[in-house]
Amino acid sequence: MSTHFFGLTDRTFEYSHSVGRNEFAGTGFRNPVDFALDSDGVAYVLNRSYENRPDGVRITVCTLDEEYVTEFGTYGEEDGNFIWPSGIALDREERLYVTDEWLNRVSIFTRDGEFLGKWGVGGSGDGELDRPAGIAISADQTVYITDSRNGRVQQFTLDGQYLGQFGRPGQGNGEFDLPWGIALGQDGLVYVADWRNDRVQVFTADGQWQASFGRSGSGVGEFNRPNGVAVDADGDICVTDWLNNRVQILAPDGRFLTQLVGDHVMSQWGKDKLVSNPDMIRQRALAYANNPGYERNFAHPCAVKIDSQGRICVLDHTRGRIQVYNKVKEPALV
Amino acid sequence: MADQDVALMAHLLRRAAFGASRDEIEAKVAQGYDNVVEELLTPQERPGIEDDLLMRYQPAYHEAAAIETNIQAWVYRMINNPRQLQEKMALFWHMIFCAGHSKIDSGQEMGRMIQMFRDHGMGNFRDLLYRLSTSPAMVYYLDNNESHKEALNENYGRELLELFSLGVGKDEEFNYSEDDVKACARAFTGWNIAPPYPPFPYGRSPWDFRFDPADHDDSEKTFLGETGNLNGDDVLDIIARQPATARFLARHLYNYFVADDVQIPAWRLTPPADMAAIDALEQAYFDSGYEISAMLRVLFNSDFFKAEGVRYAKVKNPAEMVVSTLRMVGEHREIQPGLFELSQEPKYMGMDLMNPPTVEGWHTGREWIDSGTLVERINFASDLLGNTELPGVQSLVDRLMARGDTLTPDQFVEGCLDLTGPLTVTDDTLTELRSHALKGGDLSHGSPAERADFARRTGEMFQMIAATAEFQFE
Repeated sequence: MSTHFFGLTDRTFEYSHSVGRNEFAGTGFRNPVDFALDSDGVAYVLNRSYENRPDGVRITVCTLDEEYVTEFGTYGEEDGNFIWPSGIALDREERLYVTDEWLNRVSIFTRDGEFLGKWGVGGSGDGELDRPAGIAISADQTVYITDSRNGRVQQFTLDGQYLGQFGRPGQGNGEFDLPWGIALGQDGLVYVADWRNDRVQVFTADGQWQASFGRSGSGVGEFNRPNGVAVDADGDICVTDWLNNRVQILAPDGRFLTQLVGDHVMSQWGKDKLVSNPDMIRQRALAYANNPGYERNFAHPCAVKIDSQGRICVLDHTRGRIQVYNKVKEPALV
Repeated sequence: MADQDVALMAHLLRRAAFGASRDEIEAKVAQGYDNVVEELLTPQERPGIEDDLLMRYQPAYHEAAAIETNIQAWVYRMINNPRQLQEKMALFWHMIFCAGHSKIDSGQEMGRMIQMFRDHGMGNFRDLLYRLSTSPAMVYYLDNNESHKEALNENYGRELLELFSLGVGKDEEFNYSEDDVKACARAFTGWNIAPPYPPFPYGRSPWDFRFDPADHDDSEKTFLGETGNLNGDDVLDIIARQPATARFLARHLYNYFVADDVQIPAWRLTPPADMAAIDALEQAYFDSGYEISAMLRVLFNSDFFKAEGVRYAKVKNPAEMVVSTLRMVGEHREIQPGLFELSQEPKYMGMDLMNPPTVEGWHTGREWIDSGTLVERINFASDLLGNTELPGVQSLVDRLMARGDTLTPDQFVEGCLDLTGPLTVTDDTLTELRSHALKGGDLSHGSPAERADFARRTGEMFQMIAATAEFQFE
């Protein structure tokens, strides 16, 4: 019997495991909005939390094997504080850069959480910021920031010197409506989640428009407020399709390859939380039988990164966790 | 623009909305009163809150677990929802169909219940009662999940009749009997909740209504004189067609939108203050097939609503006090941090949103005011109105300056009262305000120093107005 094969022939996306749980401190995340991965496989998860739980506003440091390392940062306007933290990225020396879209600034930390400095000023002029959201840093140490309410991407040196910009508010090619996530491909191209235009746009490193993928909707290649983007070694483009509760994976030319909707299996931190509470274990068992998709599926995935092993790591905002997928060349049972 | 048109529109927007800035009032006057009423009554035809933006900048508002976050999100919507009557009706139903976080212990379910009121609070009353009866929060709050075919719990059945639809009585007669309560409770057996996920480790799932036929008492019942194998749907049909239901709803709408009435337990023995108004609302209820918006249309277009005698005759409830002041001064008119503390203000004034004291709700009217809550109300309003840095206050200062190069103290007081209402005050209050204004003499704004002094004195006068008895009314 022959197999009628439609779609991918050389890649399978296989769920590996999950990291985290909802938590205001320690081993978990609270309203996480972005994360960065260093060369050792350590994750720096940026937790937005909310103002009546300022203790939850922090960066959680852990491995993708769910080993808790530390946490740092808190709510406020002082140095090293955050109000509305939005994006996080590592430079070549593995210092952390964090955008804050209320304070209109970038804060810089060591991987251990030592505050190193800050830059950024509110406004709409060259080098000024109005709700800086996503951040990415290139191999040549250029900082790219989606300057969301100014409808543009701005480029800076690591110490905040203005280098240039591209884009303007609008719906045409090269224009943006509240852009959010930003990623750099190995080919040097810049990928921007053009959030309110429901598409991903691609640019050269100096801002020349190359392509736009997507339109509003919930079908194949359509988006509902995409907010995170990552590009893997094959050039495949992973996009967190926020309000469609999925990750779409596009080929380098923008064709739809597949989607991930979430395959969560209880993480170790999740088990740790439940093990001492038999009532909740029972309650969860009843609920799971009634509605398994609630816990398994993505709930507003908001950032995606590729780790050093080529795994696709999806930050699952409302459930407070990261779901990790292997990308395998050989056929894999999923 | 005629003063009486401004005054009438300001009255409509105080009652059918949470007040408005002077700029907004004048823009609405230009639209025409009848058109504004229709706009308020047809929210689906105009944009509401931009939920994607709200979720982006305040992601915790979505599926929020904490009660404080749900309250904060609701206060944001009260301030900013362009569909103002939706929010006003959400508060109206919350004050009648009372369920509280102190028992429910799920901020998310309280938020979902308010959303249901927001979405359907101007719809069909029979439909709304069905949504209420299948609201998991209400099922849990009034123990219907503990009411079984073989072990009845009458709590929901009783409150549905007493506090949510018929009321105990009208025209000195009782509206239902103890047997009706039992029959009603039996009809709702099996109306239950599916098991939700626990709060840990990934957050509670929304609670879902679930009917269990095996737990439903399907035997014959007699309810309000009608006999059959009645279920909850049948009971709601019977309730909806009762004259007592029309009276209940008419009286509540009158109390909320027109003039303070006695508290609900007194309704059996105390007739409505304006029987003709209640008759008109009852008629609209039946003529429209139980449509709440039809009753509101009659109400807002009526002479009894427009009458000058009912203006500033109702005590603002704490949510109205907080939200209308914020709207007047232009604070939190966009998504920004800092709303948490402000959203707790109604609680300090005696109205713990999403947590009413009992299933009977809050006592309204002058019972909102005591020595403690009055101080809270005055301090809150005067702090904001005295802050001339706030955009709404700055706009009022600019408007006042535009009235002339120099204002006499009397003109100054008159202008301040006009712009903060237009507010009519007693002679005693007016004398006090004028006396204070006289101490500073005429006001000019030609030089920077004069402008600064003009703004300072205006902020001071606004603070004094916020402290008047009249400012406590709407």
